[in-house]
Amino acid sequence: MTATAAPVNGLVPAVSEAARRAQRSARIRGIVIAALGLIAFGLASGSMTTDVTFKFWLQQQGKAFAQVDTSPGELWILAGIATGVTGIWQLWRGAAVRWRLWLVLWLPFWVIAIMGHLLVGQTAVLTNLFSSSLEYAFPISMGAFAAMICERSGMFDIAVEGQMLVGACAASIAGSMALQWLGPDAGTIAGPIVGPTVAALSGMAIGLLMAWLAIRYHVDQIISGTVVNFGALGLTNFMYLRVLQTYTDYNTPPTIEKIQIPLLADVPVLGPIFFQGTPYMYIGWIVMVVLTYFIFRTRWGLRLRASGEYPQAAATVGINVIAIRYRAMLLAGAIAGFAGSYLSLHSAGSFQMNMSAGKGWIAIAAMIFGAWNPIGAFGAALVFGFADAAQQLLSITGVDIPPQFLASVPYIMTVIVVAGVVGRVRGPAMAGQPYEQG
Amino acid sequence: MSSLARLRPLAIPALAVLSAFIVGSVFLIFTDIPALQVLFAGRPVDFLTTAFGNVVHAYVALLTGAFGDPPRFAEAIQQGTPQAWATAVRPLSETLVAATPLIFTGLAIAVSFRSGVFNIGGDGQFVLGALGATATALLLRGFPAPITLLASLVAGIVFGAAWGFIPGFLKARTGAHEVITTIMLNYVALQIVQLALRTDFMRPPKGSEPISQVIDFVRVPALLPLPGLRLHWGFVVALIVAAMVSYFLFRTTKGFELRSAGLNLTAARYAGMSAGGSIILAMVVSGALAGLGGAFQVLGTVTQMSNDIDAGYGWTAIALSLLGGNRPSGVIIAAILFGALNNGGHEMQIETAIPLDLLVFIQALVIMFVAAPDLVRQIYRLRPKSAEPGAPASEGAAA
Amino acid sequence: MRLELREITKQFPGVLANDRISIAADRGKVLGLLGENGAGKTTLMNILSGLYRPDSGEILIDGTPRVFNDPAEAISAGIGMVHQHFMLVPVFDVVQSVALGAEPVTGAVRTFDRTTARARVVELSTQYGLDVDPDAKIENLPVGVRQRVEILKALYRKSDILVLDEPSAVLTPGETEELFTIIRGLAASGTTIIFITHKLNEVLEVADTITVLRRGRVAGTVLPSETNREELANLMVGRDVELTVTRGKAHPGEAVLEIKDVFVRNDRDEMAVRGANLEVHAGEIVAIAGVQGNGQTELVEAITGLRRVDSGHIRIAGATVDQAKPRKVSDLGVAHIPEDRMRDGLVKAMTVAENYILDSYHREPYSRGGRFDRTSIAREAQRGVDEFDIRTPSIETHVGNLSGGNQQKMIVAREFSRPVKLVVAAQPTRGLDVGSIEYIHKRIIEQRDAGAAILIVSTELDEVLALGDRVAVMFSGRIVGVLPSEQATKEAVGMLMGGVH
Repeated sequence: MTATAAPVNGLVPAVSEAARRAQRSARIRGIVIAALGLIAFGLASGSMTTDVTFKFWLQQQGKAFAQVDTSPGELWILAGIATGVTGIWQLWRGAAVRWRLWLVLWLPFWVIAIMGHLLVGQTAVLTNLFSSSLEYAFPISMGAFAAMICERSGMFDIAVEGQMLVGACAASIAGSMALQWLGPDAGTIAGPIVGPTVAALSGMAIGLLMAWLAIRYHVDQIISGTVVNFGALGLTNFMYLRVLQTYTDYNTPPTIEKIQIPLLADVPVLGPIFFQGTPYMYIGWIVMVVLTYFIFRTRWGLRLRASGEYPQAAATVGINVIAIRYRAMLLAGAIAGFAGSYLSLHSAGSFQMNMSAGKGWIAIAAMIFGAWNPIGAFGAALVFGFADAAQQLLSITGVDIPPQFLASVPYIMTVIVVAGVVGRVRGPAMAGQPYEQG
Repeated sequence: MSSLARLRPLAIPALAVLSAFIVGSVFLIFTDIPALQVLFAGRPVDFLTTAFGNVVHAYVALLTGAFGDPPRFAEAIQQGTPQAWATAVRPLSETLVAATPLIFTGLAIAVSFRSGVFNIGGDGQFVLGALGATATALLLRGFPAPITLLASLVAGIVFGAAWGFIPGFLKARTGAHEVITTIMLNYVALQIVQLALRTDFMRPPKGSEPISQVIDFVRVPALLPLPGLRLHWGFVVALIVAAMVSYFLFRTTKGFELRSAGLNLTAARYAGMSAGGSIILAMVVSGALAGLGGAFQVLGTVTQMSNDIDAGYGWTAIALSLLGGNRPSGVIIAAILFGALNNGGHEMQIETAIPLDLLVFIQALVIMFVAAPDLVRQIYRLRPKSAEPGAPASEGAAA
Repeated sequence: MRLELREITKQFPGVLANDRISIAADRGKVLGLLGENGAGKTTLMNILSGLYRPDSGEILIDGTPRVFNDPAEAISAGIGMVHQHFMLVPVFDVVQSVALGAEPVTGAVRTFDRTTARARVVELSTQYGLDVDPDAKIENLPVGVRQRVEILKALYRKSDILVLDEPSAVLTPGETEELFTIIRGLAASGTTIIFITHKLNEVLEVADTITVLRRGRVAGTVLPSETNREELANLMVGRDVELTVTRGKAHPGEAVLEIKDVFVRNDRDEMAVRGANLEVHAGEIVAIAGVQGNGQTELVEAITGLRRVDSGHIRIAGATVDQAKPRKVSDLGVAHIPEDRMRDGLVKAMTVAENYILDSYHREPYSRGGRFDRTSIAREAQRGVDEFDIRTPSIETHVGNLSGGNQQKMIVAREFSRPVKLVVAAQPTRGLDVGSIEYIHKRIIEQRDAGAAILIVSTELDEVLALGDRVAVMFSGRIVGVLPSEQATKEAVGMLMGGVH
């Protein structure tokens, strides 16, 4: 990511300053990683005798388990090997090694080792941990997709939080009304369709408002995003306290339950993790794949990226940048609003005040961490979802670690990434910059 | 004409507030379920009178809650007892109490906007300032109260400034966008507060709620010699600090550098100013102001550190700063207005059961209208302004 | 296809950019459009590409009048543009960049058909000898190759008319030769080409017809075989304005500004100044002539500390300032009148008084111990306003409300309010009225007579000739000639500006 050479020109030396700097920081990174490996070995020496048990669901219904007995020491040794190898590899190959990919090789071992360390003498069901990570990752990844579409088009979307919140509120009200009007039979079927649809529409309305303010009235996109977040909080709290709290019929939507995918759900280990989730989870996977394809493989994606990177260039070949940005804001609003419906229709079963609780911001963090790429963002959302799930697991098993540490991880990681401390990621060049049509 | 012309800059903010209230009343009407039931029962005239009556009732309650009830004042003048005066003045006092933290955070944001930096982290700086003040007060318990009080206030400043320094430094050194970093640091700050509130040092003995011990042993003295009024010297300090900020921005060389950088960064570089230094200084000053606000909130008003000490002050501050034209005097007026809204909102909530959160929504609308002056001009068919003085935050700040 | 523009007129506030311009280019021919900055070339091109609409006049393609409401319509009419600042997305690869806006698609979701697009790019690049790696990322390509991508973009759209705006501005001589080969090949295959430039040699080399623009009008249309450099230079720079400046003889002292083998990069990391050498002595005015974009801006920024020197040395009054900050340079006694006064020289939303102290606010008597002395500021600012005859309601008026002439006087007043050893003035009178121009010239000559060294950079040849005790010409990042004022005739300087030496 760091080794992009400066544009070559007759008079520029072959190896640019940037490349040399990248090489040096790659070396430093290698040393640091290798040192971490040594630390892991050090930690292993003290904890070979204690034990910890990891369990896996073979399948949900039969309640069959497979289990692994191990000790923190063994886990630390694994982490040490993985980290040491990565560090040496990085040292040896220098800037040619893309560190972000290699992170995947050693970081999970550390996570497992740390968890093993904390769970000494306990039993943890990892299958549950992973499936709830996937569930928690859903709203985060969808929010990240929404923000990503905006930024790819050259808009700056910090209103994901507000769009989710309004989506959650609208979904609950619409679902409840469907239930009321159509009766329990038709309503239970229609509600889960009507709720998310209305949520998506409300998100689109907000997206349209923001695009209109930014493009037509030149309102700074940070200000309009703030307006939406702040206003959404006020409006949904107001709705809750004035209407939903008293008229609870309007806040008892038919909930969206988990679905077992036939056959696949019975696959050992993988079934309980991947194929027993809510429809939301499957939609999340689909959106990720579709979005990746659309952004990188279709005409729409090409033009979207061009208007985010260099709108003038897009305009000179006859592309309507303004229209692209409007459409991107609408689509992003729909996705964020839809993600909001998950909160009220699945997690809670009703709308609660401020129920997005910062997920919109974590979504933006996931987008940055995933380098404005749907798969990357999904991966980052999974990491953040895992942090959530792990925190719950630890608190259930009575491990006394303050949950605040894990809760802060996404935010701190984002600050580090944005600051370029561990390799800069580059977003669309013109995100947030107003563009005037010719 | 000349006196009218001088009022022109006030037209947009005034109309923005008016428009926000109009939109707010539309929402009030359409969430008035009993009234809507009347409408669905086929009595539209009754619906309109009821719904409008409710809106008027709500807004009147808001006003009396914010500024006081005239009969009470009459009573106070007749009786002349401190008790009667306290009752009459209480709404005003509470309005100023609510305005105090807003003045501090509003000033914080105004300084950053003036300098072309988008500090969205007022929240984090505010709560950490409050936390620093609380911790210092607990640490120095037993020392003479004035010393503890002073040290706690300084701690608030230092904590807030430190939390502002981080994003400022990162922007100056690595170009990290301050909007992203300050928002993320807001959440980190909230987690730090929660963590701190779990410690035995902060928690009252046997307490399990995330609330600190009461630190009324260092309470900021009350301003009025009337019983039961919460208005404290923090408000006066806020006004003094506003004057100091004004002096800093407009009478000192550092303030000049900040304003130049905020208005035209290339010209500031041309004139030999350091862009990075300005960014860091702006963020530190901004953070310090928000932190001091947090310190006064905990030392003067609530006397107890808790998770919800921050009622979105950092966000409201953006509205205040825009509304007040990024001028300290404007911020004071806007803060008192919003303080009145928040405080009057309590009265409205009690009297009419309309949730206070309506005002959060209205405040958001105010920001929207102030940030889109062309929209307001279009609605009210005003002539466009020839030149834009002052420092609109939307110019230059986003770069 | 034959392209003809008839009587095209375009007015901007205060400027008549195109005044009844008529040009014509035949199929398979190269029309050279020659002109200085501000001659109206860019406006004409923007009209042709559909970005602007002309106030009057018409565009004819093969004799049919056409109206372009947006770039897409111009493209579909067969007009292809190669912009001076390339319109390429840095993170795209060549195939994506070329196809953008005219993508071949397959399927219901309009998948970008990369295979087809790539095949066509390869086909075009072999057909026209435009050697490009279709899979390379734009940001990794040298400028010469990027330009080929731009040409491919136009060919890909089956453009019959290709407009190249200052195509050689960023190219090395070798790359320029290759470009000419490409242009001849394209013309031979039937493409109509409009080649916009300020370089005399280039039009003479490739054009079949040459139309010269000056100050928004057609100054003449000639055939290369029937003209020569001198005539072209004359047409390009004209003789129509005589500036009256009275100045006595210069009495040069010792060197104040020394520029030795200086290389400076521009914002796009290209080498803009490539080995410039120049000395300016106390008590003389050296005026640098040259068409915009030949490295003058970067050189001035390097001298005044706004840009780092890549290699070579700059010394001011004996002190090396290669990496000095603007404040240090100003402390050495340098007055800098910046090229773009609204961007660099002034803060519009601040008052006259505040702008008057913009770069000396930290000095006495304006401030002491970090605090402003408002009385002194008001007194000094008022003195500056009176002395330089700045027309302003008060010193508390925002500078943005002043006229351009008064804004520039404001900058000159500020810069001359300090003791000055060296004056660096870039485009000091651009866009000003005659009265202000004369006034500012007079003030600059006063500074010279008081013993300051003066460096003026101007694209206005008249100004350069009127002021310069010595005239230097900058071309392609180098000082290609320094003439004493007696020898600095329009023809001689114009030839150097056009790259003939």
